[in-house]
Amino acid sequence: MKKTKRSRIWLTLVPLYVFTLIFVAGPLLYMIILSFETRAETWGVLHELTFKNYREIFQPAYLKTFGESLKLAFTSTLLVAALGYPFGYFMAKLSQKWKKRMLLLLMVPFWTSSLIRLYGWIIIFRANGVLDQLLLGVGVTDEPLKLLYTYPAVVVGMVYSLLQFMIFAVYSSAEKMDWTLVEAARDLGASPLKAFLTVTWKLTLPGLLSGVILTFIPSMGLFYIADILGGNKVVLVGSVIQEQLLKTRNWPFAAALSVVLMLLTTLMISLYKRITHTTELEGLL
Amino acid sequence: MKKTLALLLCLVLALALFAGCGEKAPADELNLFTWDGLIPQDVLDSFTKETGIKINYSSFDSNEAMLAKLEATKGGDYDLVVADDYIIETAIQEGLAYKLDKEKLPNYGNINPLFQGQYFDPEDAYSVPYGAGVQTILYDPEKVGFEIKSFDDLLDPSLKDSIGVSNNARVINGMSLIADGKSVNDEDPDAIEAAGRQVIEMAPNVRIIKENNMQEDIVSGEISVALTYTSEVTQACLAKPSLKVVYPTEGVGFGIMAQFIPSNAPHVDAAHAFMDYILRPEISKQCFEEVGYYSTNKAADALIEEAYRPFLTLPETLKMDQMDVMRNVSAESLDHHSRLWTEFRTACGQ
Amino acid sequence: MKNRTSLPNLFLGFVTVLLYLPIVLVIVYSFNESKLSSVWAGFSLKWYRALFRDTALFEALGNSLILGLSASCAAAVIGTLGAFGFSRIKPRSRSLVETLSMLPIMIPEIILGMVFMVFFSLIGLPFGMTTLILAHTAFCVPYVYMMVKARLVGLDKSLYEAARDLGASEVRVFFDITLPLLAPAILSGMLLSFAMSFDDVIISIFVTGVTVNTLPIKIYTQIRTGISPEINALCTLMLAATILLVLAAWLVNRAGSRSKVVTEASSVSNL
Repeated sequence: MKKTKRSRIWLTLVPLYVFTLIFVAGPLLYMIILSFETRAETWGVLHELTFKNYREIFQPAYLKTFGESLKLAFTSTLLVAALGYPFGYFMAKLSQKWKKRMLLLLMVPFWTSSLIRLYGWIIIFRANGVLDQLLLGVGVTDEPLKLLYTYPAVVVGMVYSLLQFMIFAVYSSAEKMDWTLVEAARDLGASPLKAFLTVTWKLTLPGLLSGVILTFIPSMGLFYIADILGGNKVVLVGSVIQEQLLKTRNWPFAAALSVVLMLLTTLMISLYKRITHTTELEGLL
Repeated sequence: MKKTLALLLCLVLALALFAGCGEKAPADELNLFTWDGLIPQDVLDSFTKETGIKINYSSFDSNEAMLAKLEATKGGDYDLVVADDYIIETAIQEGLAYKLDKEKLPNYGNINPLFQGQYFDPEDAYSVPYGAGVQTILYDPEKVGFEIKSFDDLLDPSLKDSIGVSNNARVINGMSLIADGKSVNDEDPDAIEAAGRQVIEMAPNVRIIKENNMQEDIVSGEISVALTYTSEVTQACLAKPSLKVVYPTEGVGFGIMAQFIPSNAPHVDAAHAFMDYILRPEISKQCFEEVGYYSTNKAADALIEEAYRPFLTLPETLKMDQMDVMRNVSAESLDHHSRLWTEFRTACGQ
Repeated sequence: MKNRTSLPNLFLGFVTVLLYLPIVLVIVYSFNESKLSSVWAGFSLKWYRALFRDTALFEALGNSLILGLSASCAAAVIGTLGAFGFSRIKPRSRSLVETLSMLPIMIPEIILGMVFMVFFSLIGLPFGMTTLILAHTAFCVPYVYMMVKARLVGLDKSLYEAARDLGASEVRVFFDITLPLLAPAILSGMLLSFAMSFDDVIISIFVTGVTVNTLPIKIYTQIRTGISPEINALCTLMLAATILLVLAAWLVNRAGSRSKVVTEASSVSNL
């Protein structure tokens, strides 16, 4: 009797196990194998073991791409944090009624195609576009700014696309926070700043860090932002992977780049877990 | 509640199954795979109207992306591809092209023999040309203070942040190779490196790197110089006749675009029918005029309107045998080009 | 809350306006007579008329809907059963499988796109709706799984035990008690999955086939090759539909519905 009961529950795990092993573990494993193989002269891959693909990453051209990509991710994340942290924090301090309204307000951009929202920025940045006309009209500048296809345009696109991740991560941790602790600190004579630094900051840190991860990691792969707002001039690791896969057709090299990117990601997440002692990212729930 | 949920679950599974099976295509379809907008919508519509064959048009943004897809599907899924010469050579070598049945192509004789028997398909067994073009420099004399004559002129500091470049390492590095007196197909690492370095030197002047639609940027004034293909040059010049075309003094890279049928194409007959349809002089004319490539159809030449004629036939100053035709290079050279290109693009973003 | 227009509120307002600015512009320019977004040539509905004639665009929209629905439903089955199973038995492989199944939303999308493309090509699966659904399901499972898992933690175990004591079978308890209690969590997980799938470009580009275009792929190609304001029009309509749905859900919720779907979905949906 007991035996049948157990086996039945075990059945509920079958779909998850089968799917995960075949369609998550399988492809990832193949990626690792592929990264050690050799590209064929024309079609596909040869099953010859090599470290060439990893050596290729250390070519100055690709090292520089990694560097630039990290720099862009870092810049974007910093800006996202600068905007998103106070936003999430202030939002959590709103009254219940306004909290709900803000959540609804944030829902709408989320359900709008991210590409279309980026296209809105093209309308703004384009030569003689909305921003140019505004600035020319006010008399701040004399000629079109040529903002589209520049580094700042890509940064704006990144920040814009990723900001909500940060807002929600910070909001969810600030929302859960016990505000009486802050009051207690204030009652004990702490200045508002001190109370913030000793209590609020510490308690919202997991949210902030989770937001950092949720913006930093994707920002190295969002090649389409660099493409449509940066005129292909800003090269992300993601852009190189895409190009190796679809253009140069060096699949093993694309796999090696992906492995490195994935190691970087895993490193960041385990660091996060080490610092915050949690297993799940704040704001994902 | 329970029943609803159970029903929902069943529906989900059914839907998943349904979606999985729904891919068998009916016989009267044609899966066309080309660059975006390479075949005029009117032509597609009239073909469907005449034959009842439904066209599924999907597009790629580079030859290599096309080949990658074709390799991934092992020559299946797609029925007709229009792509560049050198990639067709690879496709043929890899056995990804279908041997044409000329019986099914009554209009085959319309092709201009000048564009036949090329290196990529010496027997003309697999491909039918769809257009030809050269890689040139196009600029706006109102915005550029001097006369551009050669590739080296593009390094001029006065052109800062104003050049548009096609996102194709082989083409642009190739222009640089020709400027150095080498062939676009040179596999000597030093030659490629030197050519690539020259391109990287141009980085401060580069405003956009993109796959297509450069004509809009030069017409709208976003850029004042474009390094691009014949079709975009034609379209830009038609929209803004004051633009100037430069055939670099050092030489010109030349390319032919052709149609071929993938080896495991699901609808071979429909593909032949479409090929033949395109070969009709009046349809050819429509394509050339809209897309702007050099005409490869002898019978269509006479029909082309006066306004388009200067753009749609090879300039007399250019002789076929003087032009450098792009071919495949070794995987090692390709990786080298790609690495230099990544460096170039990164340098442009600084 | 002494002064209502304090600095924090100004900041919230300012950032919200920034978030909405591009969307508003897209809407405004959908009514533009001219094709170019750099000129305003007067009010016109012609792009809406053009939109309703564009079958390719609607086909892409249909594909995206089918894809989003199938992937989120498949994820709902896999994720719910998995989370439920793990709440009851804890095999040694649990943490490994759990980590693995969560990976798709942890790693950059580009990696997922790349591995799926090479993997499907390796096993010879033809690219098309099947590959799209499989790839999308992979990144939808984690959302449902996490939602359900969180809900299971708060679930009252005694209910289940009482039902078992009264002689209900394992299956009956699942369908009669567990599932109804989990329904809100499953639904919000599915909503979230659907939204992610409906908006995905990166993964879809790598795994799509010849006959299947999804809406984001179509928009991406259009932006790169010269966008037609038809897309603006489509987005305006979709936006209107979204706002109506969100508002309707909100009103229903306010009217005192038991389900907390909306608030839950909204609290999570920005991921």
